[in-house]
Parts: sequence; C-alpha cells; structure tokens
Amino acid sequence: MQSKKAVNNIKLGIFVLAGLFFLIIILYMIGKNEHFFGSNFMIKARFQNVQGLKIGNNVRFGGINIGTVKEINIINDTLMEVEMVVDNELKNILRKNAVVTIGTDGLVGNKVINIESEGNKSALAMEGDILPSKKPVNTDEMLRTLYKTNNDVGMIAENLKSTVEKINKSEGLWNLMNNKDLSMHITHSVENIEKASREANLVVNEINKVVKKINSGHGLAGTIINDTLLAVTLYEAVSNFRTMSKRSDSLVVHLQKSITEIDKEITEGKGTVHSLLMDSTSARAIEKSLINIEKGTEGFQQNMEALKHNILFKGYFRRLEKEKKKKEK
Amino acid sequence: MADNIPVKSFLNEVGNISQFTGRFFSQWYRPRYEISEFIRQCYFIGYKSLPLIGLTGFIMGLVLTMQLRPTMVDYGVESQIPAIVGIAIIREIGPVLTALIFAGKIGSSIGAELGSMKVTEQIDAMEVSGTNPFKYLVVSRVLAATLMLPILTILSDAVSLYGSYLGVNIRGQTSSSLFWIQVIESIDFYDVLPAFIKTYFFGFAVGIIGCYKGYNSSKGTEGVGRSANSAVVVSSIIIFILDLLAVQITDLLGYN
Repeated sequence: MQSKKAVNNIKLGIFVLAGLFFLIIILYMIGKNEHFFGSNFMIKARFQNVQGLKIGNNVRFGGINIGTVKEINIINDTLMEVEMVVDNELKNILRKNAVVTIGTDGLVGNKVINIESEGNKSALAMEGDILPSKKPVNTDEMLRTLYKTNNDVGMIAENLKSTVEKINKSEGLWNLMNNKDLSMHITHSVENIEKASREANLVVNEINKVVKKINSGHGLAGTIINDTLLAVTLYEAVSNFRTMSKRSDSLVVHLQKSITEIDKEITEGKGTVHSLLMDSTSARAIEKSLINIEKGTEGFQQNMEALKHNILFKGYFRRLEKEKKKKEK
Repeated sequence: MADNIPVKSFLNEVGNISQFTGRFFSQWYRPRYEISEFIRQCYFIGYKSLPLIGLTGFIMGLVLTMQLRPTMVDYGVESQIPAIVGIAIIREIGPVLTALIFAGKIGSSIGAELGSMKVTEQIDAMEVSGTNPFKYLVVSRVLAATLMLPILTILSDAVSLYGSYLGVNIRGQTSSSLFWIQVIESIDFYDVLPAFIKTYFFGFAVGIIGCYKGYNSSKGTEGVGRSANSAVVVSSIIIFILDLLAVQITDLLGYN
C-alpha cells in the first residue's frame, strides 16, 4: 500500500513537472521571440510620424528580427522618439550611420522598424544613440500617384480598344491577312528585291571600276575630267563661240534694221522697190516694156537666123557645129 | 409569490455557494494541513484525468485544423493555419475545453463521492471522531482541482498543437520546426498569461461547486445522482461565465 502510494506520488510529480516544463518552454520561447531575456542594448530613432507603430513591434536589421520597440515618446508636435531594444550581438555590427525606417510586414501586416546599414565608414552605435531616420513611404501619396497613373492607363486602354475595334472591323485588312497567296507573293517580291539588289550591287561595282578608271585619267572621260589643259582650251573655245554669237547678234540687228527700213520704204511709197512693188502704173509700164523686149528679142532672133543663112556668115556657123560634134565624140 | 420561488431558490443557492466559498477561504490556510490527502487528490484529479484531457485535446487540435483548412485555402492564407490554430488553442479552446471536460469528470466524481458520503452519514461520523471533514474532504479537493487544471491545460495545449501539426501535414507539408516557429511567433505573453491564469479560476470553480453539491446532498440515492449532475451543470455554466469575465478584464487592462 505504501509503495503504491509512492508510485502514485512519483506519477503525480512527473505530471506536474511535465506541465510546468511545457509552460516554461512556451513562455521562454515567446520571451526569446520578443527579446525579453538575454542582454540587450537600447537605441533610438526620431520620426515625424510613426504611422501606428506600437510597443512590441519587431525591429529588423537586414531583414532579420533583432529586437522590439520598447517605448514611443512624443518629443514635440513634430517629433516622435522610438526606443528600440536590440540584441547585444548587434553592438559589434550596428553603426551610427545606419538608417532607420518604418515599414510594413507584408502588404497589410504589422508595422516593423527596418534598420539598413549604410556602409562601415562610421563608428559603432552605442547604448542610447539616436540613429538617423528616413521619412517612410506615404501610402496616401502612393495611392494618389497610382490613381493618376490608373486614369492615364485607362485612357490609353480606351484608345487601344477603339484602335483594335477599327482593325477588327476593317475587312480589307482581314482579307489581306487571310490571303494565302499574299505571303507567296511577298516571298517572291522579296526574292526579286534580293535579286535586284544583287544586280544593283554588280552595277555599282562596275560603276566603281569606271569611276576608278576615270579617276586614274584613262580614256576620253578621264581626259575630259582630269586634263586641265583641255579644260582651258575648251573654255577658250566656248568664249570664242560666245563672242561670235554676240557678233551674229549685232548682225541680225543690222539686218533687222535694214529690213524694217525697206519695209518702211515699201509701205511709205519711196524708192525703186516701192515703185516696183506698189505702183500699178509703173508695173504696167514695166510689163509693156517687157513685152516690148520680148518682141525685140524675137526680132533679134529672126535677124540672127537670117544672119546664119547669110553667105557671109555660113562658114562660121558650120565650124561651130563641127566642133560641137567633135566634142560629143 | 409563486413566481418568486425559482428566483428565491436561485438566490438562496447563490448565497449558500458564497457562504461555502467563504468557509473554504477561512479554513484552507489554517492547520492542520491534510497534505497526504491533498497529494492523493492531486493524483486522482490531475494525473488520472490526463488521458481523457490529452485525447480530447489532440482530437480538438486535429479537427480544428482540418475544419479551418478549406476556408484558409479559399482566402489564400494556408500558411497562416499554424498561427491561427495556435492562437485559438492557447487563448480559448485549450483552457475552456479542458475545463469543461474536467468539470464533467472531476465535478461529477467529487459531487457523487461527497454526496454518497453525506448520504451514508460518513461526514457526520468524521465530525464526531474529531477530524475536520471540511478540511479533509473539501479543502484538499478544491486545492487539488485548482492547481491541477492549469497543468492539465498546458499539457492539453501541447497535445492539441501536436494534433494540429498532424492536421496541417495531412494535406500540406510543413516541417515541425516551421510549425512551432509560426505558432510561437503568433502568440505572445498576453495570449498565454490570461489564459493560464483563468484556468486557476476554472479549476477552483469546478472543485468548489462539486464539493458544495456533494456536501449539501439531499437524502437518498436520488440525491447523490442529482448532486453529481448539478455539480457538472453548474460548474460548466460558471466556467463560461468566468471565461466571459476573464476576457472582459483582459480587454479592460489592455492585454487583449
């Protein structure tokens, strides 16, 4: 009976100790999580607005939880001081120029304090130091900007929509896109273009050669382009040509003058030409004289025939005829 | 007048319980101390209840996790299951569920035991023989219940969280270290301490109601059954009332 009681007592002891052990474990782990135990040191930072930061919020250094917020005090109307308790290990790491910011754990989570290192140029932070802080990102401002951006994006989307609608409605474009031959044609065209460009390349090469030749002064073109003497001669010839043309110009002017004079004379009824062309009486007279001359020459011809047949002159004419026949032979 | 009878009897009951409690407080710190009886009661009340409490706790953790899972998956916060289950178990489900099971087991047993002793006039016999029956029977039991329930609750919490860990791993895959880190991270002192402190009151309520009901049992076998029954019912109600008070007080103190 006595031994059974002792066993029962042992069982009870184990039971109680197990319970207490779990209690202590859970309290210790929570405490470790919140940095209530172990050696700590305190640092401070000042903010204009702590954005709902609470005592007990986590402090992170490089993303690792290293402490908690211990106290938040109001210094004056625009300055709040946050006291943080951080792990003693940080004493050899944290520097005076590390920047403290207030952030959010996740999108809608608790506030956290982030300490970011700014290089190791500064001295190590000491107990009670006030570290520099940075103004946290303002969600309101962010949302305001986002709102504006959203509007712009909405407008762009609308324009894009109408464009796409237009494209969708355009039958021509769809026909073009559905046309299976088109791609073939395009391929052919591209091939042709390629060919053409190849040929063009050849042509250019040839031209290149020609230009080279010209540059080196071979052939007619080369001489034309490269021979400076020729150029001078050509210039002289051209200038001569020019003076000549000038002279001919003055000649033409003279000619014109005389023609106008003649014209004037004719129209005004002066001189021989006028009487020849314009005076009808003199014209008749001339006609008469011409008729007379004709008659006269007729008479003269008869006289001459008579002369031919005259004995005195018969020999002369026979000789003439003989010479003519000789020449023909 | 007839309307007043239930109210009257209720007030009468409350007054009697208060008086009984006052008697306990005036007696428990005075010698002579019934230490061996107290330890024996601790063994029966605490140690012997552990399997039942552990089983219910384990099932509760497992079931709660599995029940929460679909909703959490819907909201895309599957990874928060350990945190949520941890908070629920440590803050509320562990203490209250353990206390209710404890009331069912211990309240009824104390009520029946003391009731049958009362009915068989053993208590009167003790008084005659010079032993203080109140000290020997009531103080030892109430103290044992008060001190054992917090320990049972802590163990129940641990078993529940283990059940929850298994529940998480039925569908998902979470390493035990990640699970415990998530649970521990989500709770802090103000989750554990009020919950821990209120279990003392729960245990005290169960012990005192069980003893009162048994000590004032009416005559006959029927009276024993009734005192056992009402011990469970009343202590369960008082547990809920105390829970309500506890949350109000912690809220008032800003520790919620």
